[in-house]
Amino acid sequence: MEQIRQTVKKFILENILFEDDENALDYDDSFLEKGIIDSTGVLEVVSFIEEEFNISVDDDELVPENLDSVNKLAKFVNEKTGS
Amino acid sequence: MLHKYLADTAGAQPDKVAVIHGKRSVTYEELSLGVSQLAEFLVKEGMQAGDRVGIVLDNSPEYIISYLAVHKAGGISVAINSQYSAYEFKTIFSDCLPRVLIVEKKFMKSVLDAVPDVSSLMTILIMDNNKAEKLLALIRKRIAVPSHINYFTMQDITRDNNSKSVCPSIDKKAVASIIYTSGTTGDPKGVMLSHENFLTNANSIIEYLHLTQEDRIMVVLPFYYSYGTSLLTTHIMAGGSLVIENSFMYPNVVLDKMLEEGVTGFAGVPSTFAILLNRSNIRKYNFSRLRYVTQAGGPMSPRHAKDLAEILPEADIYIMYGQTEATARLTYLDPEDFHKKPGSIGKAISGVEIELVKKDGTTAENEEEGEIVARGGNIMSGYWKKPKETKKVLKEGRLYTGDLAVRDSEGYLKIISRRSDIIKSGAHRISPKEIEEVIHEMPEVHEVTIIGAEDEILGFTVKAVIVLNEGQEIGAKAIQKHCRERLAPFKIPKDVVFVKELPKTNSGKVRKHLLKKSEEGIKI
Repeated sequence: MEQIRQTVKKFILENILFEDDENALDYDDSFLEKGIIDSTGVLEVVSFIEEEFNISVDDDELVPENLDSVNKLAKFVNEKTGS
Repeated sequence: MLHKYLADTAGAQPDKVAVIHGKRSVTYEELSLGVSQLAEFLVKEGMQAGDRVGIVLDNSPEYIISYLAVHKAGGISVAINSQYSAYEFKTIFSDCLPRVLIVEKKFMKSVLDAVPDVSSLMTILIMDNNKAEKLLALIRKRIAVPSHINYFTMQDITRDNNSKSVCPSIDKKAVASIIYTSGTTGDPKGVMLSHENFLTNANSIIEYLHLTQEDRIMVVLPFYYSYGTSLLTTHIMAGGSLVIENSFMYPNVVLDKMLEEGVTGFAGVPSTFAILLNRSNIRKYNFSRLRYVTQAGGPMSPRHAKDLAEILPEADIYIMYGQTEATARLTYLDPEDFHKKPGSIGKAISGVEIELVKKDGTTAENEEEGEIVARGGNIMSGYWKKPKETKKVLKEGRLYTGDLAVRDSEGYLKIISRRSDIIKSGAHRISPKEIEEVIHEMPEVHEVTIIGAEDEILGFTVKAVIVLNEGQEIGAKAIQKHCRERLAPFKIPKDVVFVKELPKTNSGKVRKHLLKKSEEGIKI
């Protein structure tokens, strides 16, 4: 799961935040509360995890509990991949 | 004035719910009291009639209170995109020279980085319940806090309900708000809208939407753009309710809330509906109370329009058109004509006259293309401190929109093209010029042009086409990183393409339309 966390964090840092600094994003930072990602950014992240981890995200899984931080995303991917 | 409508409803129905935001429910009485108290505070702090007050807040009851309080105090509200960088805030502040800023705590860093050279600024009101000294001590640990400004928080707003009002009387023709837009030329311009503009336009919208105090609208669009402002003004004026949801990034959360609160209305731009149709559970919901859906902010694809009508068979769908320079709304398509006139923006709203004017200045006949020119009580006074720019679009009291349309034999309008390079991406209007100037700061870059690339969800996304200086090598990520430091996230180019040269006219102007038409961009 650590590898999933790192992969997800790296994607968001590089492609959403355009940041080099690892400290710019904490694993538990809420994307919603901190205004880190908007509605189209979330869809970009979802596309990424679907492709990267070969999973399918259903429309009713697009909820904060599954997606709203690096840790939540990693946990969600982990459960979907059964790893 | 709008705050009077608020006060009237508060007097007649004090317990009526005005705003729902998360778990909070704010009544008309509470909202009106908040407006009065903040207005009194602003006047006692020395605010004069016509002073500008910058508002940097997410959608919330506090936004509505701030917006109306500034008007009641005789000031001019300047609501600014809260996603802006310090650089962008500084551009706006340097232009409108605010006396006061009302800021949410989470935006303080960007705002404080922008204010040191803003000589007009005397007061910052931070939307927080802590005491100012305590909050500032925390902020100072991370950010430099300019010492020449007075800082206050909500704790400092007096609670004396019995003191005599010090608020001035308001002339309805006075400027109420400045809303910054890129217009058609790209430079951010402050659209000056009077109280009369807002009341006139809101009245027209209330009329065709048949809004009543029973209506309850779900608000996902930002209040700081004119479409979002119109949701606020119309529903407060009608005595209805606003349900605010700032979590549209999780669309099912919004849909759940719509059901829970029994909303009667929903407003969106094309990308809002694209997201709902493509990536939400909207097809599983039964919105029995939803009676109207409005769409503005650019053309919605016929496929999405058809899907929406099928999914929401009981709701009236209103396709609308307008400009910030017209307060918000100029035309609407009656729901009865939705299937009969696909792609049409309908006809002028009440109180507005629309003419289509050809290049030679004459009026276009039916089926002839012409520029949409509008007259009405909703047309702006002009652009703030930009008389030359104003003269280009306001002639003899008529607004030249820059949009080309045709009118059919039954009087229905259809947009043909927009006479500008502005990129409409989601809810945002993006000036290519602004992004070009930022990218051109990079020493590696010789030339850059920004175009809109078609996107199924957003309408268009930002694409940069760049010619590097001889011998220079740099990647897309570096370009995007540079933009991130200067610009709001929605302006960062999603695609970056490097080319050997840009196609140009004989006079040296970049032929953007060729780049847009090319499937892969010009070959390197």
